[in-house]
Amino acid sequence: MSGRSESDRLKQESLLMRLVRRPEAGAFFVMVVVIVLVTIASNGNAINPLGIKNNLAIIAQFGIIATGAALLMIAGEFDLSIGSMIGFAGMSMAMMLKWGLPFGLGEATPASAFFITLAMTLSLGWLIGTIVVRSGLSSFIVTLAFLFGLRGTTEVAFRLINQSTQISGLPDFKQEYFFARIFGGESFGWFYDLWFALGGNLNRRDEQWVTGLDVRVVWWILIVLLAYIVLNRTQMGNWIFATGDNKESARANGVPVNKVKIGLFMFTAFCATIFAACQVFDTNTADAAKGNLKELEAIAIAVVGGTLMTGGFGSVIGVVFGAVTFGLVANAVFYIPWIDGSWYRVFVGVVLLAAVFANERIRKRITGGI
Amino acid sequence: MAKQPYLKVESIVKKFGPFTALNGVSLDVYPGEVHALLGDNGAGKSTLIKVLSGVHAPTSGQIHIEGKPVNFRSPRDASNAGIGTVYQDLAVNPLMSVTRNFFMGRELTSGPRPFGLLKMDEMDRITHDEMLKIGIDISDPQQAVGTMSGGQRQTLAIARAIYFGAKVLILDEPTSALGQKQQMEVLKTMMRVRARGDIAIIFITHNEIHSKLVADRFTFLALGQVIGAGTHKELEGEDIRRLMAGGAEIKDLERDLAEL
Ligand SMILES: Nc1ncnc2c1ncn2[C@@H]1O[C@H](COP(=O)(O)OP(=O)(O)OP(=O)(O)O)[C@@H](O)[C@H]1O
Ligand SMILES: [Mg+2]
Repeated sequence: MSGRSESDRLKQESLLMRLVRRPEAGAFFVMVVVIVLVTIASNGNAINPLGIKNNLAIIAQFGIIATGAALLMIAGEFDLSIGSMIGFAGMSMAMMLKWGLPFGLGEATPASAFFITLAMTLSLGWLIGTIVVRSGLSSFIVTLAFLFGLRGTTEVAFRLINQSTQISGLPDFKQEYFFARIFGGESFGWFYDLWFALGGNLNRRDEQWVTGLDVRVVWWILIVLLAYIVLNRTQMGNWIFATGDNKESARANGVPVNKVKIGLFMFTAFCATIFAACQVFDTNTADAAKGNLKELEAIAIAVVGGTLMTGGFGSVIGVVFGAVTFGLVANAVFYIPWIDGSWYRVFVGVVLLAAVFANERIRKRITGGI
Repeated sequence: MAKQPYLKVESIVKKFGPFTALNGVSLDVYPGEVHALLGDNGAGKSTLIKVLSGVHAPTSGQIHIEGKPVNFRSPRDASNAGIGTVYQDLAVNPLMSVTRNFFMGRELTSGPRPFGLLKMDEMDRITHDEMLKIGIDISDPQQAVGTMSGGQRQTLAIARAIYFGAKVLILDEPTSALGQKQQMEVLKTMMRVRARGDIAIIFITHNEIHSKLVADRFTFLALGQVIGAGTHKELEGEDIRRLMAGGAEIKDLERDLAEL
């Protein structure tokens, strides 16, 4: 007994073992397998210059909303309104760009359309969060109401003002406005220039093929960095974990749990708005059906990334792995001609179920089995 | 004794609608002492500590701290006045690390709240040192609290309350859900805190043996009223058992049981 202390009871693990036990390990493993399989089955087309561009475009889309969804889930709440929020924000921006600002305030610029829309979506996020914390109702039901309500509002507004639920043929604002390029332009041109300079990235006429990635990749990286730092390195992050883990205990220790939740509902609304802005300024179109089912994909990616359904635990890096996995599989049909695109949903189902089991094991290990 | 009570509670009444949960309860709590608060289920112990920790406002009566009257409008007020409450079920967040629990809501950061960067190394060090002071050597402050034993969790909550300036430590049945060995761990922790001399402990328990092991002073509640109080010396062992049962004699109980 003597000479034995508590610290002797913890065995030092090797670095490899520690990595394997990290919550992101499963998501990382699945991602690697998917990258290898898709690369082989597509004869490398999925990772040629155009393949990388197209894959990262959808990966970034997934990543942007899944990061918001994951932070909210870590704080113990769901947001089913993400998809409808995307549709609403896209409609709002495109409509202002086509029909002018509301209340006869004149022509809209990309910046004014974006910021007015952002003000609306953040207010909606605030409203959703406030209803959830004030009523004590499950966020599942409250945001389900907004899933229907916002989608309906989007469609009605489209028909009333625009007579059609689609807008296409907007001018290409990217040519004229720097602000439109922030969302719809290109980035990482240097990467493709370098690739070209090194003798790759050639089209059939031996000219430079692809000139850059969609700028939404940059938004994704920024949002991931922001979320990672906030969650793991700041006081706010500790409050997010505490709120989702045990709300009562967090509150008793002075954590403003309601403000944390409302703030995160606003953050998912922000992510949805960025998603929509990238889409509108990239394609110069909008459609009332945009963003449909995206909330469920966001939640699925968050879970596959190691976020607990019950809150209190999760990893931003895991969500990155999840987004890469989902993006590659969703796009696989374009690179693997013989595959039926509906396998994507089968894959999502299987991986989701596996992830929930894996997460449950992790949770049990952390909580000592309860 | 010329000692001044740190906390003085004077004829606290607490009514929930028509129901009187506390009917004029008084008690004095001295630094460096363990004050056992005993009584049957429903006697009003938890209600009393909720009043003391700012969760409920008393219907009437007065709380004094170091002789000065105080009114708590929120748990924050009470904790600023040096009252640290360790609730049985409200203590910790199992999925978070020891350090993150220790500083929950009061994180050390550089930069503006709430987005200031956490000073994780400093918080780890303080957590380790504070836990060691009251007898637990945690090997890894980044370990999840869920993997700690029940006794260690209580100790974490106690260490946290003390570090953040508690002068009165209220422990509501800290041992009731624990195994024998872990109960002893918590009692030892209490004795270490007592030995510092500057902190008063209010210890709520149903366990006669535990209260006799650590308490300097006793207050017995029954049906919302104080039915007995005194120091360890003033009370006899038999007395304690009778008072804990709300004044009923064990002999009465034996007779009742025999009649069934
Ligand atoms: N919020 C409330 N509203 C109405 N009645 C309450 C409320 N809180 C407590 N009571 C009542 O006050 C009485 C005292 O309860 P309290 O929880 O203080 O007892 P206790 O001494 O802590 O009992 P135990 O040993 O079982 O924990 C009980 O009859 C309880 O039903
Ligand atoms: Mg009680």
